[in-house]
Amino acid sequence: MTLLRILLCLVALAGVARAAEPQAIFDRLASTKYDDIEAGVGDLATSGLPAAADALSAALDGRLLVAPGKPALFKTPMGTTIDVATNAPAAAGADAGLKPVRVNNRIRRAVATAIGTLTLMSPDARARLRAAESVFRGRDPETLPALDKALAAEKDERVLAAMRRAKAAITLTTDAPEADKVAAVGLVAERGDQDGLVLLRGLSETAPAAVKSAAASAIQAIETRQAMLARVQDVAYGVSLGSVLLLAAVGLAITFGVMGVINMAHGEMVMLGAYTTYLVQDLLRTFAPGLMEGSLAIAVPAAFLVAGAVGVAIERLVIRHLYGRPLETLLATFGISLMLQQAVRSIFGPSNREVSTPDWLSGSLDLFGLTLTWNRVAIVLFALAVFFALQLVLKKTTLGLQVRAVTQNRRMASSMGIRTDRIDALTFGLGSGVAGMAGVALSQIDNVSPNLGQGYIIDSFMVVVFGGVGNLWGTLVGALTIGVANKLLEPFAGAVLGKIILLVMIILFIQKRPRGLFALKGRFVDA
Amino acid sequence: MDQKISPELLYLNDVSVVFDGFRALNSLSLTIGEKEMRAIIGPNGAGKTTMMDVITGKTRPTVGTALFDGGVHDLTRLDEATIAGLGIGRKFQTPTVIENHDVETNVELALKADKGPFAKLFSRRTPQVQERIDEILERVRLKNARHRRAGDLSHGQKQWLEIGMLLAQEPKLLLVDEPAAGMTDAETADTAVLLREIAETRSVVVVEHDMIFVRDLDVKVTVLHEGSVLAEGSLDHVSSNERVIEVYLGR
Amino acid sequence: MTSTRLIDFKGYVFLAVLVAAVVIVPGLNLLLPADNPFHIPSYLVPLLGKYLTYALLALAVDLVWGYCGILSLGHGAFFALGGYAIGMHLMREIGPRGVYANPELPDFMVFLNLKELPVWWWGFDFFPYAALMVLLVPGALAFVFGWFAFRSRVTGVYLSIITQALTFALLLAFFRNDMIMGGNNGLTDFKDIFGIPLQTQGMRASLFALSALALGLGYLLCRYIVTSNFGKVLVAVRDQESRTRFLGYKVENYKLVVWVISAMMAGVAGALYVPQVGIINPGEFSPANSIEAVIWVAVGGRGTLVGAALGAVLVNFAKTWLTGAFPELWLFALGGLFVVVTLFLPKGIMGLIGSMDSVKAWTTRRRAVAKPAE
Repeated sequence: MTLLRILLCLVALAGVARAAEPQAIFDRLASTKYDDIEAGVGDLATSGLPAAADALSAALDGRLLVAPGKPALFKTPMGTTIDVATNAPAAAGADAGLKPVRVNNRIRRAVATAIGTLTLMSPDARARLRAAESVFRGRDPETLPALDKALAAEKDERVLAAMRRAKAAITLTTDAPEADKVAAVGLVAERGDQDGLVLLRGLSETAPAAVKSAAASAIQAIETRQAMLARVQDVAYGVSLGSVLLLAAVGLAITFGVMGVINMAHGEMVMLGAYTTYLVQDLLRTFAPGLMEGSLAIAVPAAFLVAGAVGVAIERLVIRHLYGRPLETLLATFGISLMLQQAVRSIFGPSNREVSTPDWLSGSLDLFGLTLTWNRVAIVLFALAVFFALQLVLKKTTLGLQVRAVTQNRRMASSMGIRTDRIDALTFGLGSGVAGMAGVALSQIDNVSPNLGQGYIIDSFMVVVFGGVGNLWGTLVGALTIGVANKLLEPFAGAVLGKIILLVMIILFIQKRPRGLFALKGRFVDA
Repeated sequence: MDQKISPELLYLNDVSVVFDGFRALNSLSLTIGEKEMRAIIGPNGAGKTTMMDVITGKTRPTVGTALFDGGVHDLTRLDEATIAGLGIGRKFQTPTVIENHDVETNVELALKADKGPFAKLFSRRTPQVQERIDEILERVRLKNARHRRAGDLSHGQKQWLEIGMLLAQEPKLLLVDEPAAGMTDAETADTAVLLREIAETRSVVVVEHDMIFVRDLDVKVTVLHEGSVLAEGSLDHVSSNERVIEVYLGR
Repeated sequence: MTSTRLIDFKGYVFLAVLVAAVVIVPGLNLLLPADNPFHIPSYLVPLLGKYLTYALLALAVDLVWGYCGILSLGHGAFFALGGYAIGMHLMREIGPRGVYANPELPDFMVFLNLKELPVWWWGFDFFPYAALMVLLVPGALAFVFGWFAFRSRVTGVYLSIITQALTFALLLAFFRNDMIMGGNNGLTDFKDIFGIPLQTQGMRASLFALSALALGLGYLLCRYIVTSNFGKVLVAVRDQESRTRFLGYKVENYKLVVWVISAMMAGVAGALYVPQVGIINPGEFSPANSIEAVIWVAVGGRGTLVGAALGAVLVNFAKTWLTGAFPELWLFALGGLFVVVTLFLPKGIMGLIGSMDSVKAWTTRRRAVAKPAE
């Protein structure tokens, strides 16, 4: 109640101040008392001066210059000095003796509200919408007159609705009649977001019974909507996880699915890709700091080459001798994975390496109440790009044709002049190189340590086996399904139990369909 | 349901097998009587191996009926081991013996007996079993090779060992896939004699490419083409059939 | 070809070595004074005992891999479950001597604010029950897993991968505090068994002897299985699974029986391991442990039993020595071992011993190995 009384006093004060002359406003702003300055800010907002909005935002940065008895000036971000009263450039030297308006948090808030009020009349609909939102959050009864004026003039449906909700929010803070408040609750509930929820929850204590019950049902409606939104958010996280899995697994789908080679060192190819990113950034920082923003664009091909070369070497030196003996291949490549881990640990040390995120990948995207960080969005896009590029390579290039030929009938391919051993090496290199590119992406969201690959190898195998061996589309569907299922299970079961449930489900699924979701069928498959 | 509803040992009716749109068998109908010997010929891809897969339970037909022993057993619902236990033995195109076991053990494993894991866990080779093994080795002329590792046998010997293993199973029906492949002429003639001998007590289905061998067998011939029966009758009868000449003999 | 006698020459040597170890190790530890050059220090006895339990685990792996072709990358799970079963008994044995002095609840449960003992902990204070669980828990898990896997004919690398997923799932599960199995820390701070402190020389020697006895019995059991008609069918399944079905054998039942027996052996190995090392934690479920057990078998020689035990002891001795002397080198050595053994020693040390006299046979095998399959 005390708060309400103060607010009412402020409204009264504002009413008195509205008649003030520009110079009186400037003098208030030049005062050393924050109460005066706050009043001055309100006056300036309602003064009708064309430069009021610019002057107010200048005040926030200390660019609004005042002194008792002198005309107020503000500096534009470009550096020109403008007279607030006339909105024309001021004479040179006019700023002599002027000081920036004193600003503390209270003033800052008052300025923000004032700007909100001012922009309610802006010719730009988006600016008006933002202003209505800021009024909603501020819920300052003082802005009511301005809001009413804006409402009367508003034509845009969306802005109109936002303004009505803003008004409703203010109505709820005043002692308006019960019926008005119930209607206001309905309007606020329309928003259906966290802000609306906070407002409704905050009011239920003192409000009349009818308002309370309206608020309670509105709160429930909003909560239902929020729960739905959370599911949608889970799905979005799931797609994000799924694309990480896709990146990690798609290289494996080539070596395991297409060639039938179990590469337990696949995770280490991913890890090598991540360390390549680290090295690229390290070199750029030393020799070409200007290129840091593009470090990932350099790291992607570099990681492909590094991991691909290691893959070719592994194929030439070890796997070539073990074709037709998948279990032995599994063991030998596990040995290689141990050696690669230890090699990286010996060279770079056991602790995590810092890989920086370029500015263009920082921050997040807000979409209908969903929050997606840019690097996650980028990984989804990158994963899809890698996937389709790979499809293209396998479907449209000579290498792809030869790979498919060797996969389907090694002997026939060989007798048609395809050098099968070269194709084996290149295919393995391709799968490993793709794993390396996955490492670049993972370096943005995971710790770059020698154990990086270990965290992905079992999941990757699950994806490939679940999706169906020998079918890249199966890998795509498998990765996204597992990713989304994982994130949908998490809120109910917790992260760890969710993962266990998923593993058990995949194990059971493989029993039911040993060849996966998109199995190749035919008489040659299980020969 | 011990009542035999038909006199045939093997009864295939309207059997189709489809792999991804490819019809490996297309409404195949075929019957084999008790103690009958039948030769099945047909070009590559005619569906001979798929037919054997259906009979032995390796492949489930997309549609169709496959009954055994006068209609008592529905082969489409049983697994390979059960079907083998009912008395259908199969010899593969390429001889598949257990290479790491010796010749005797290969035959021993095939012998008709309780083949459950616990029975095998607590049983050892008895004199009676040894006698049966000797009998069979005698018949397939591998007595002198009895302690040799099966993997070290020559190709022809492996074929004979596999036939011996088939005999040891005491099946009612033998499916024999290209028994003469990779054999010398003398061995081929020997094999024909052996198969005719076996057919005196059991039914035998021989899938073969080698026309001379089929002529040696001197039995009813069924010609398969694109997954169904093209012609049936004596070799002379089918070889005079124009369609047969077109798709197979005269290619 | 495997010898058909229950105990062949290698078997006699193996059993003789075990008997000698049972006499010599505790003897040199208990009877000789500490300053005698032949004295075996007390810390070494449980270490050697640990090697023996690893050897038993290796036998279990070899039984399914060497004779039935099932490459399990999850045998560590059965080992750990056996270990947890005995660990639970040892926790109950602590009684009121814990930090919180709760006569009923182990310390970590008091810490979790539990008021009552969870149902699955009931009965573990009674040793015969715990001992039964050492066999039944791994056995039941293996039965359920194998029932589904073998019936749906999951074979080869697919089976290997899902066994790995199995142990990984258990790893995650045992890390959870909600399992009330000690979570991250596992079960430890054991005091005694049958009222005798675990740290006494006599107890250590007894556990060592018990491990040797279990290894010997495990070896005889495996030999009995592989030399029986059952064992001959197993080899047939390993080499020609499809052919074996056409001979009338229900392959899935054979696999299931040998799989469950093997899991129980691994459980026993785990149960003997835990009191000697004094701790069991979820780390024992980590997939790397299971793969390591496979390499012991490969090093010694797959399908030889004696070789598996030998491989386990040798590799672990090397591990103890290298991780102490050159910790950087251990993973290189282990990794290199995987590669070298699969490439150049497909029959392991036992194969090397068997073909020392015929270098020619060895080189031809190498050539055969190098030829890619069609």
